[in-house]
Amino acid sequence: MSGLAIAELLGATLRLATPVVLAATGGLVSFHAGILNVAMEGFMLVGAFTAVLLSYYAGAWMGVFGAIGICLVLSLLYALFVVDLKSDGFAIGFALNIFATGLTIYLVRIFGTDIFNSPQIQPITKIRMGAFGSVPILDAVFNNHSVTVWLTPILVVITSGLLYRTPFGAHLRASGEAPLALETAGVSARKMQYAASLICGGFCGLAGAHLSLGYLTQFIRDMTGGRGFMALAAILVGKGKPVRTALISLLFAVAEAASMRIQEYIPPQFALMLPYIVTVLTVAFMSDGKKTDSVGM
Amino acid sequence: MLNKYSPVSKDLLSFAIAILIALALGALVIMATGSNPLEAYSAALKSALGSNYRVLNTLCNTTVLIMTGLGCSVAFNAGIQNIGAEGQLYLGAFAAAIVGLAEGIPPVIHVILVLATAAGVGMLWALIPGVLRTRRGTDEVVVTLMMNYIAILLCSYFVNYPFRNRAVTWPETEMIQASAQLSHLHPLSRFNGTFFIALVCVAVIAFINRKTTVGYEWKMVGLNPRASAVAGIMPKHSMLTAMLVSGALAGLGGGMEVVGVRHRFMDAFSPGYGMTGILIALVAKNNPIGVALVAFVFALAKTGAAGMEMATNVPAELSEILLTLIVFVLCAQRSLRAAIGNTRSQHGQGRQAEQ
Repeated sequence: MSGLAIAELLGATLRLATPVVLAATGGLVSFHAGILNVAMEGFMLVGAFTAVLLSYYAGAWMGVFGAIGICLVLSLLYALFVVDLKSDGFAIGFALNIFATGLTIYLVRIFGTDIFNSPQIQPITKIRMGAFGSVPILDAVFNNHSVTVWLTPILVVITSGLLYRTPFGAHLRASGEAPLALETAGVSARKMQYAASLICGGFCGLAGAHLSLGYLTQFIRDMTGGRGFMALAAILVGKGKPVRTALISLLFAVAEAASMRIQEYIPPQFALMLPYIVTVLTVAFMSDGKKTDSVGM
Repeated sequence: MLNKYSPVSKDLLSFAIAILIALALGALVIMATGSNPLEAYSAALKSALGSNYRVLNTLCNTTVLIMTGLGCSVAFNAGIQNIGAEGQLYLGAFAAAIVGLAEGIPPVIHVILVLATAAGVGMLWALIPGVLRTRRGTDEVVVTLMMNYIAILLCSYFVNYPFRNRAVTWPETEMIQASAQLSHLHPLSRFNGTFFIALVCVAVIAFINRKTTVGYEWKMVGLNPRASAVAGIMPKHSMLTAMLVSGALAGLGGGMEVVGVRHRFMDAFSPGYGMTGILIALVAKNNPIGVALVAFVFALAKTGAAGMEMATNVPAELSEILLTLIVFVLCAQRSLRAAIGNTRSQHGQGRQAEQ
């Protein structure tokens, strides 16, 4: 493989890592508040759909903010059930995922499929840095990425700071680890869990918008393709630590980028399997197996 | 006083209320998108129940949903979240088609062989997440979901390349041997004997759950693995057996669809039977007989939705929206009921303390 091919692979990795890293970063905030959100897949899908629809009518940034907004509403609904009504998070999460699939296809058919792959959809602004432009390898790795690609590492750092360096972060983590202690200290664990759910929703909305306006410029049915669960896997393996979780997500993105490349050489089905296999192997052999404890013995 | 109504009739009542609320919300969705809900719903009802053969078709569509719902319920009941029914069903169906192609096997034996293979393959596919969960503590939600994609892609490869029937444009296997087929019992419907196999499975799981040690252990482990370990149950063992039975049921469901309905395996075999199975198990609270009932209602919605789409402009995906709305409404009802139950029992304890 030539140097340029590797550079292109790395560039694709950055684009593909963005949605998973974003969702995982939002999800780990929720994870620290004691809510393992299995609805991220559905949030992202609705986000991707909304982003394309609004971008078609009102431009890319309306699309991005609309996606974040709608996911905030969905995560409020999720929190209402999981935090206040004490419903089973698994049940609500899965219902939300299936709801998202059904609703987006339903609406695509109501609005007409033409809108969702129209050239009128405005993508998220792409950044070209002139300094890299003259070196083909650097150009392939670092140029022509959507703003969201560069925003993502910044958001990871901010989230890490928020969780570990601020009173808000301490309260949020306490709402998952020791809610009663937090209540005793006069802070509402419920409010913290709501805040965490909203942060998770916002991140998933942005992740969805990147998927449909940054990585691609269209909406396809079920286009999230399990990325919400890859994010969940990254959180479990990274134990909710922001940087570690982001790095695991990056590993999945390498597998995805590689799977696009090797499609020329092997049957596409095997190529497409690669990210899923890597995810299974990573969760199986890199997570600490916390669940064993709950089973006893 | 408090238990004026039996839990079963309470559950049926809340299910009925949830259906009505979901239909009402669905009517709003239909109106918002510019169609007449009454027209849409009556078209749906007519196409799902309008005549004998339509009822049989709905029952035929119930069959595979019973199997995936039952599969999910067995795992959920034992506290292991197998969301891999979709993948287990795909591989079961594909394996069934391959065995179904074999020549020279006597009719009844061939069907049994095909179905046994389907169940076995589904079980093997569930073995992987089951072992990872019980040996390594790996989160089974992530693993089973990823394995769905892997299974679907694997089957897609098989049916696009080595086992493809070149005579047709859509990637699918050749028709299975007549000896491996169950014939349709009505000239206008695809209804067939597999429906009764599904009912037998419901009865068997209901029996296991209520009358056997295995079933008791599944329930205890699902409720509280640590306490059940103290009580001498091996939680890991119970979880693994539940996972295997769960995978076998989903795989068998795929095999039944091949043997009874489609008589071949094709790419994009399932429109989400496994995912719908999750919802069915959740709504039925893992009760096998409840699964059969809920599967019928869900099949009604899906069959009706297809007819509705043909008669009106309302897309069939409305059924997915309605089914998930039922789950939301039921979850809300159950939480409220639990909350009311708590305050009542607190009152009761208070009164007892006073006396």
